[in-house]
Order: sequence, then C-alpha cells, then structure tokens
Amino acid sequence: MALISLMILVPLLGAIIAFLTKTRQQARAVALIASVIPLVISLFLFTYFNRGVTAIQFYEAYPWIQSLGISLSFGIDGVSLPLVLLSTIIIPLTVIFAWGETEQANKFYGLILLELVGVLGVFTSLDFFVFYIFWEVVLIPMYFLISIWGGPRKDYAAIKFFIYTHVASLVMLLAIFTLYFNAFQVSGVLNFDMQYLLKSYSLIGSPLLKDVVFLGLLFGFLVKMPAVPFHTWLPDAHVEAPTAGSVILAALLLKMGGYGLFRVILPTLPFTASTGLLITLMAVIGVVSILYGTFLALAQRDLKKMVAYSSISHMGYVTLGAAALVPLSISGAMFQQFSHGLITGVLFMSCGVIQHSAGTRIIHELGGLAKHMPKLALVMMAGFMASLGLPGMSGFVAEFLVLVNSYFTLPTFVILALFSIVFTAAYHLWAMQRAMFGAYNEKLGHIHDGANYEIFAMGVLVLLVIYFGLNPGSVLNMMTANAEHLDRLLRFAVLRGVIT
Amino acid sequence: MFSDYAALIVLLPVLAFVLTLFFGKKFPSGGAALPIAAIAGSFIISFGIFLEIYPHGTVQQSMQWFSTLNFGILIDPLAVVMLMMVSFVSLLIHIYAVGYMSHDTGKPRYFAETSLFTAAMLAVVLSDNILQFFMAWEVVGLCSYLLIGFWFHKPTAAAAAKKAFLVTRVGDVLFLAGIVLLYVNMTNILANTGFSLEPGNFMLQFKSMFAAIPYIAPTQLTIITLLFFGGAVGKSGQFPLHGWLPDAMEGPTTVSALIHAATMVTAGVYLVARTFPMFVEAPNALLVVAYVGGFTALFAATMGLVMNDIKRVLAYSTVSQLGYMMLALGTAGMVLGAKAVGISMFHLLSHAFFKALLFLCAGSVIHAVGTNDLREMGGLFGKMKITATTMFIAALALGGFGIPGLHIGTAGFFSKDAIIEGAYEYGHVTGDMIPYVFSIIAALLTSIYIFRLWFMAFSGKPRQDRHAHESPKVMTIPLIILALFALFFGFSQAGFYGYLETNFELMGVEIGVHEGEALHPSTLILWLPIIVGVLGLVISYLIYNRRILDMSRIVTRRNPVYQILLNRYYEPRLSSYVIGEKLTHGVVAMSGEFFDRKIIDGLVIDNIISRTLLSLGDVIKKLQTGVVRNYASVTLLGVGLLIILLRIGGM
Amino acid sequence: MSLYMYLLVAAIIFTIGAYGVMTQRNGIKILMCIELLLNASNLNLVAFSSFSGNATGQVFTLFSIAIAAAEAGIGFAILVALFRVRDTINLDNINILRW
Repeated sequence: MALISLMILVPLLGAIIAFLTKTRQQARAVALIASVIPLVISLFLFTYFNRGVTAIQFYEAYPWIQSLGISLSFGIDGVSLPLVLLSTIIIPLTVIFAWGETEQANKFYGLILLELVGVLGVFTSLDFFVFYIFWEVVLIPMYFLISIWGGPRKDYAAIKFFIYTHVASLVMLLAIFTLYFNAFQVSGVLNFDMQYLLKSYSLIGSPLLKDVVFLGLLFGFLVKMPAVPFHTWLPDAHVEAPTAGSVILAALLLKMGGYGLFRVILPTLPFTASTGLLITLMAVIGVVSILYGTFLALAQRDLKKMVAYSSISHMGYVTLGAAALVPLSISGAMFQQFSHGLITGVLFMSCGVIQHSAGTRIIHELGGLAKHMPKLALVMMAGFMASLGLPGMSGFVAEFLVLVNSYFTLPTFVILALFSIVFTAAYHLWAMQRAMFGAYNEKLGHIHDGANYEIFAMGVLVLLVIYFGLNPGSVLNMMTANAEHLDRLLRFAVLRGVIT
Repeated sequence: MFSDYAALIVLLPVLAFVLTLFFGKKFPSGGAALPIAAIAGSFIISFGIFLEIYPHGTVQQSMQWFSTLNFGILIDPLAVVMLMMVSFVSLLIHIYAVGYMSHDTGKPRYFAETSLFTAAMLAVVLSDNILQFFMAWEVVGLCSYLLIGFWFHKPTAAAAAKKAFLVTRVGDVLFLAGIVLLYVNMTNILANTGFSLEPGNFMLQFKSMFAAIPYIAPTQLTIITLLFFGGAVGKSGQFPLHGWLPDAMEGPTTVSALIHAATMVTAGVYLVARTFPMFVEAPNALLVVAYVGGFTALFAATMGLVMNDIKRVLAYSTVSQLGYMMLALGTAGMVLGAKAVGISMFHLLSHAFFKALLFLCAGSVIHAVGTNDLREMGGLFGKMKITATTMFIAALALGGFGIPGLHIGTAGFFSKDAIIEGAYEYGHVTGDMIPYVFSIIAALLTSIYIFRLWFMAFSGKPRQDRHAHESPKVMTIPLIILALFALFFGFSQAGFYGYLETNFELMGVEIGVHEGEALHPSTLILWLPIIVGVLGLVISYLIYNRRILDMSRIVTRRNPVYQILLNRYYEPRLSSYVIGEKLTHGVVAMSGEFFDRKIIDGLVIDNIISRTLLSLGDVIKKLQTGVVRNYASVTLLGVGLLIILLRIGGM
Repeated sequence: MSLYMYLLVAAIIFTIGAYGVMTQRNGIKILMCIELLLNASNLNLVAFSSFSGNATGQVFTLFSIAIAAAEAGIGFAILVALFRVRDTINLDNINILRW
C-alpha cells in the first residue's frame, strides 16, 4: 500500500482543486477534507508502526531520474513519524481555525494544503534530492501566505524570511552535493539515497572538507530552527504573518530544522574531524538560544513577538538535547519538537483571536480581556501554562528529559538553562497579567469572544498537550529506539577514538 | 478495602474540578455540592485507609509512567495524617465558602479551582516518588496563582498572583535542580556501584532514594537536600522567598485559609519531612533548615506586629509558624532523629486547624464589616459572639496557651512547646542557643500580635459605624468544629508521636541519632514559653484595650523602625521593582532587545551584509545597458573566447 | 567543389549576420541578420551532411528552418506590437528593462 505517497498526493490534489474553486465555502470544505485524509492515514501509521525498531517502515520507492541516482523513495521511522503525526494534526486544525477566512479564500486554503505537502515530503523523503525539493516547496507557499495576507510590513518580512531560509538551504544544498560527488568519487555510483550519502560522509578525505560539509548542513538546519544568532527573521515573519501562517511556521516549519539535526547531523557528528569542538558549539548555541529567547521575550511589547521569541527559547532545548548525545536527552529533544508544535499552535491562535477581536496585540494596549473573553482566557491560560513548562503537560516532560539527561554530559550548560525557567514563567505571567487580567481597557470598546471554531481548534490542541503530558510514552516509545541507535553510533565512534 | 481505592482520593476532586468548571453554572450555588461531595469522599477514603493501616501498615501502589519513571501512591503514617488533615480542613473551608462566596458571580470557577487545588495537594501528599511530588507541587502553584488572582479584574490581585507564582517558581527551579542532580546520582550509582533497585521499584521513588543514601557522596547529598530545601523555602514562604505569601491575601479569604492551613504552604514542610532521611545524613543542610526556620519565625513575627490588614497579620503569622516547623525539623532533627518529623508534623496539623479557624473568623469579620482594615473595626464582640469566641480560642492556640505541669492546653500549646523544647535540647547538646532564643522571642511576638488583632477587632467601641451581624450557620458551624480541634487536638500528642516515629522504619530506613532523648529540661525551660505567651497577652491587653500607651506617638512616619516594619523591610519594592522591573526587564531584557534589533539586525544584517551586497549590485548592474547590440557583441565575444580556450585546451 | 568552399560561404554569411546584429539599431534589420546567422549554420549542416553521406544533418536543417520561421513570426509580431505602442522599432530606445 502506497500510504505515504497517498498522504502526500491527497493534499496536493486538494490544493489544486482548492485553487480552482469559486466560493470560500467550497474552498474550505476541500481544504478540510484534503487535510483530514492525511490525518487518518497518519493515525493508521501511528497505530501500526512497529515500535522498538530502528529500521525504516512503510517503505516505498519509485524510480525517477535514474541516470543521476535519484528516486522517489519514502518511509518513516521513529524520528519522522511523530512529526508526520504533528503535521497532520496541525494542518486540519489550522484550516478549522481559519474557517472564517474571506480574503481570496481559495488561494489561502490551497497554500495551506501545499504547506502540508511540503512538510510531509520533508519528513518522509529518503532521497536527499527529493528531500531538498520538498524543503524548498515549503518555502514558497509560506512566502505567499505572508506577503498576501500579512500585516503592514508584510513585504519586508516575507522577503527577509525567504532570503534567510533560502540562503540556508542553498548552503545545505552545496553540502549535499559535496556528499554526493564524494560518494561518486569513492564508489563510482551516482546515488542520492540519504542513508547511503550519510554513511559515505566518513569517507571524505580531507578533514577540513569534512568539517565544512558538516557546518554547511548544520547552518542549513540551525537557521530554520531558528537558533541564535540566525533567528532574526522569525520575529519579523511572525509579526506580519497571518495567524494560520504563524501557526504553520512555528509548529511545523521550525521542526524541519530539528528534524535535520536528528536525521542528518547526529549520524554524521561522530565522524567529523573535530567532534568535541562541534558538540560544544551546538551546546553553546542551544543554551544561548534558550536564555536569549527568554530574555528577549521579556522585552517585547507585542504579544505575538513575545511568543515568537519563546519559540526560539524552546527550540534551544532541541539543540541542547541533541548536543548532549544521551539516548534520553535525544528522545527528550525529539519530544520537545512534537510538544512545542502543539503548544505553540495554541499560543499563536490566541494571539490571532486577540488581534481579531481587540484590533491590537500590543500588550499594554490590552487589559482585562478575560472579562469579555472567558473562553479564550481558559484555553490561552492552558497554553501559556503548557509553554512555561507546567507538569502534567507535554512541555514539562520534554524539558525535564532534556535537562536531566543532558546533565550527564553537559552539566554546566544545564545549570545555565535552568536559570531560564524562572524568567520563562515571568514573561508568560507578565503578558497574562497585562493582557488578560486587571481592569478592562475601555478604549477597546465592545469586544467579543473567539468564534466557536477557533476555540474548538485551540481546545483540541490543549487536550492533546495534556494527553501527551500525562501519557508521553505513546510517542516517546517510538523515538527511544532511534535515539538509542544514534547513541550506539556515537559509542562506536568513541571506541574508534574519533571522539573522547 | 479502602486502600484499593486510594487513587480516588485525588481523582474525585479532579473529576469535581472538570464537572464544576464546565457544568457548575447549571447547579445551585455554582455547583459547590460537587467539590464538597468529592472532598468528603476523599476524607472518608483517607480515614478508612487510616483505620486499615493503623498502627503499622502502609499502602503502596505503583505503575510505570515511561522509561525509569513511575506514577504511584505511598500512604504511610506521615502521609495518612496529612491526607486526613488536608481533606478535612479543605472540606470545612469548602462548606464555609458556600456562605462566604454566596454573592460572587464567579462561583463555578471558584469551586472548580479550589477543588483542583485540594486534589493537587492530596496528590503531593500521597506521591511515592519525587517527580510526581514535584508535578503535583507545580499544579498546587498553578491553582494558587489562579485563586489569588480570582478577582482578576483587580490589578493588585493580578499582580499578587503573578508574584506568588514567580517567587515560588524560584524555589521550584531549585527543587527541579535537586531532582536533576538526584537523578544523575542515582543513575551513576546504579551503573557503577553494587546498588540495585528491587524488582518493581523505580528510580525516583522515595524508598529507592532512601536506599541509595549510603552510596551518594556526602557533598552531593548536601547539595541535593539544600536544593530540595530551596523548593520548600519558596513554597512555605521562608526567608528570603516569603514575600509572596502576605501579598497572596488579594484572593478571597477562603482561598487564604486554604493556602495557609491546608493545601499549599505546608507542602514545603512536608517535602522536608518526606525526604527527612536524606536531610539527617546531611547535617549541614539540616543546620541551614534550622537557621532559616528560626530566623523566619522571628523575622515574620516582627512584621506581624504592625500590619493593619487583618489578613496580613495572619499571613505573617503563618510565615512565622512555618518557620517553627522548619526549626523543629532542623534542630530536633539533629538531636532527636526521627522524632523531629513527629514534632514538626504535629505543629503542622495543629497549626492547620487553628490557622484555618483564624482565617475563617477573619473572613466572617470581613464578610460582616466589609473591610480588611483593623483600624476601622472594633467592638464587634457584642455583634458576633460565635466568631469572636472561636477566634479567641484560635488565638490562644496560636499563642500556645496551656499548663505545662498538668498537660492541659490548646493544640498549639502541645505542638509549639515541643518545638521550643527541641530547640533547647539542640542548644544543650551543641551549645548553640541561637535557634532557641529566636523561638522564644518569636513566641512573645506571636502572642502580642495575635491579641493585638483580637482586641483591635472585637473589643472597645466601634471605630466606624458598620452594620455588622453574625454570619450564617453554614459559616459558623465550620468555625465551631475547627475551634473544637484547636482546643482538643493537642491531647493526641503522645499517640501521634508514637505513630509517626515508626514512619521511616516502615520504609526500611534507620535514623540513628537520639542524643537528646534522655534530657529533662528544667521547670523554667518548661514554663518559659507559656510565661512569654501570657506576657504578650498582657501587653496587648494593656496597650490595645486599656490604652495605657498612646500608640499614635510611636506609630509615626518619623519612627524608622516602624517604617521599616510597615514597609516589610522593603522586600516588595526590592523584588518587584528593583529585581523585576529594573534589573531583569530594564537592564537584561532591554539590552538584549537592543542587541537583537540594533546589532544583529541593524549592524550585521542591514549595514554590513545587506549594504555590501547592494553596493556590489550597483556596480555590476551598470553592465546591463539595455542595448541589444551590446549584448550581442558580448555574446559573440564570449563564444569566440570559448572556442579559443577549447583550442588551447586541445579539444 | 570542396567542403571548404561551402564552409567559407557559410562563414562569410555568418560574419555578415554577426556584424549586422552588433551594429544595427533597427529591429527588423537585426531580425534579418539573425536569419542570416541561422542560415549560415543551416548551410554548414547541409554541407557536412552531403559530404559525409549522412542524412541526419539535412533533416536537422529542415527542423531548424521550421523553427526559424516560427521565431521570425514571433519576432515580427513583437516588433509590430512594439511599434504600435512606442511608434519606433529602434531597439536602442527600447531599454526600460535595464536596471
């Protein structure tokens, strides 16, 4: 059964149909159907996935450009399935959240579906060339989502987003080509297969070239995550993007960077020329992102910008956990990706509802919204609590796993990261106090609560956050086998004396 | 039979939380019946379990959560007494709240949140592992945030809620760091030493932790216990993280009663008691516990003397009494071993009864006169006889009144004297009398401020014309029940100590030190606490009832001591303004913002990279003339060059 | 006649065409010169084909002529459209697409 290609083709077809529809009712119905079908498929995969196995499952491959060794091959393992599930959860909910979109609705829903095509392609491709194509496919609909439905500085933000991520992916492409031609030189076979190319990494002759290729790949992923200091595109993009765009951007696009860390960076890390140094580099970037994102969030006046910086901070845990190279820290980092995707969806949706009702997101222009928006206040409070790492919600499990297990190898960095926890709580509560509590700001006039479909989308996410916070095993048990596999790889490298 | 349903102790109030939150509107008085029934259920199960396991049983249930972590229930003597107290006091407060909150429109939200609050505290109490303990502990923090900010439209309430969460969060991070360090130590021990877990046991369970104590390096153990204590300092409002607790008065009075008596602040003391075997092996940590506790007991009592808000006085009283409990764990822990847990817990329980009573009485007064300010009260005795009487009983209990020789007295008498004696014995053994002196002075101040409160509120003439009236029965009956406990709970002392002493033996832990056991303090030492108590009562009576002293000459702007006390040692200003607003936001965050926008985005991206590329483009674009002939010429030239190059290359 | 004669003629035609493309401003003249370039290469193809006895080159020439015709058609159409708008087909004035 070609489940994965079906999962990618259905939204692609849906996007084409959505572009052709005449009314917004038709467009959104098409979008909902075309995004729920992949959800059903991914739930099927989630159920029948063989846990505890590191191998690729549900593999399928079709020849494409045989002369260059490119084939359309797809499959999932414990690293990718949680993200596939996340994507197929987020997109239908985004469609529901944006149920009231009126402006050029057919294009809007079509672009959202194209995003789903792109991210699913990235998470399931096993061919580096196809991976890269999907990586770029994700970029284009997001550019249009920002530049058509965006805020006042949408052109600036859209172009900044495009340039940043495109430069990063070009650097990554160069690194991929280097791997490709290196493998060709060594074996005489032209093949873009991802596993094959990653295995061939250790055969690169020059130590300098090894590190350059590694840094090229790392740069490509870190910009996408985004990690400090390559992050400044994110706040601008979020501030200008429409809510649906922000949700997809934060919940799915950032995860591509983290996915790259686990899929590409960790398998090559033991074979670099200066592994110890590179691990430290990653750990520093991770911790700096955590702290920097936290303090910058504290300085923001715009609610959405604050949430954007909080994303940077939370994605820092992914880098830190990956750099620590302990099986459970790697699982924790993977789980952080999954969990942050769900939580950040709620946060950006809350910002969207506030923007829509109150007409502003500047925190000090709000005040006392909870009085008139009780439903929003409830889900937003839940989202904020999840984001500040309240136990019982998924963010806590992820951050706990990362912190505890990173301590084995990177104790100093963990202690630094612990500092951020208080300040993370501080900006969340500060924003909550100013925006939602206190006396109602009468200048806002009469405002209404979020629409039922908006609250529904957020409520589902909140329930999922709580579910995976209490029962993280259902997702974690997929990841652990792969995390341990990566760890074995690293131990093997230690035995070979590559790292100490 | 009850022990099979131990999980319901937590699950019933959680269920009540969900139902009340979403369907409370449809029931009379905001669905108050749901949480009341649920918490009554929790109490019945707790009591049933107590009857089942008394005197030497425990309930232990555990299931894997993920990896090496678990969810589980541990009900030992320590937990079961806490369970009964928490569910019982919380039940009374809930019943009382039906009357107290009757005019509030947010009742469903109120009862849902208090129900979750109780559930979280019960979950803290019956956790069998430190991680679950921490998780429930955090949910307690969340509920306190929600309830302190219950009247969120009041800016002060919203600010107080935030402060409570953040200040306790500082402690929580220390606690979390302690768990991280413990986890790392446990993993290393399991990998590198002969220590192994019994089958079915999980890594962070208390019994595994205790079993691992001998294998943990002493310095590591000290650091871990100090970090745990850091968590307790935050939650139990010990110095220097005490500031949130008096501010937490912004919530409804019933919430204050819940926080101060049953559900929140005692969690810190419980944490130290729960992990006591670790503290005993780390005497330096225990010394810190003793000193922080003793200092807090005194420090908070000084501020209690001058507060004019009736609830603030009680809040400082709580901080001070929690200091006593910590003091007991620290001092008695060093000389009496496991008995310290009994002493501390006994005070915790008796304090829960009389402090709940004090708060509910205060609530009754506030409900009647409509103000918190003691200066606007007075002469209420005639109008509110039940409230006044029960509050007097509570004040006697807080002051520790009783007769040492005859073993007759209020609950506070038995519990507090044991603590002071413990501090004395510690001083006697080690020669360090400072904790004892702290505890005696604090006892004097306690007596002064609590009777100052009582006399200002109930005696004399009304300072303002208020139509005060006695509260309805639904509020006075809980008062009477609590007053009975405040009076008679003390008589269970001997049995209580005996019961709790076996606690850690049931977990297979031997706590050795018993040097202080044989001591018999002199008569003066036995009588000193009650002497200072009576002295305090007399001083208050003379000043606030007989008015032999004109307080208005002492209480002025010019009196620096009064100013410092009234401004609470400038702690609120320091924490929210200096640390919060100026340092964190003003300096660190804003310089980060500057760096982000001006340096990274402005200088590096805009000025260096962007400008360079743009000016490069300006130069190169001149090549594009727009004249077709030029393009054609260049193309031909290029082709020509290519051909020549190929010829040279030999192809 | 030797192959070189054909190639020489083709080279002369090509040079004339190239010279025209580089010096002329009138769009129609440039198009005519481009035709000369194409026909020069067609001549080469036919000549090589004829001398090597392989018909492929001639087939290719037919193909090329067809394409050249299409290209000329589109080119003149563009010039006519341009003339209507700008009243000129002097290509030096048609330069709004430069920077």
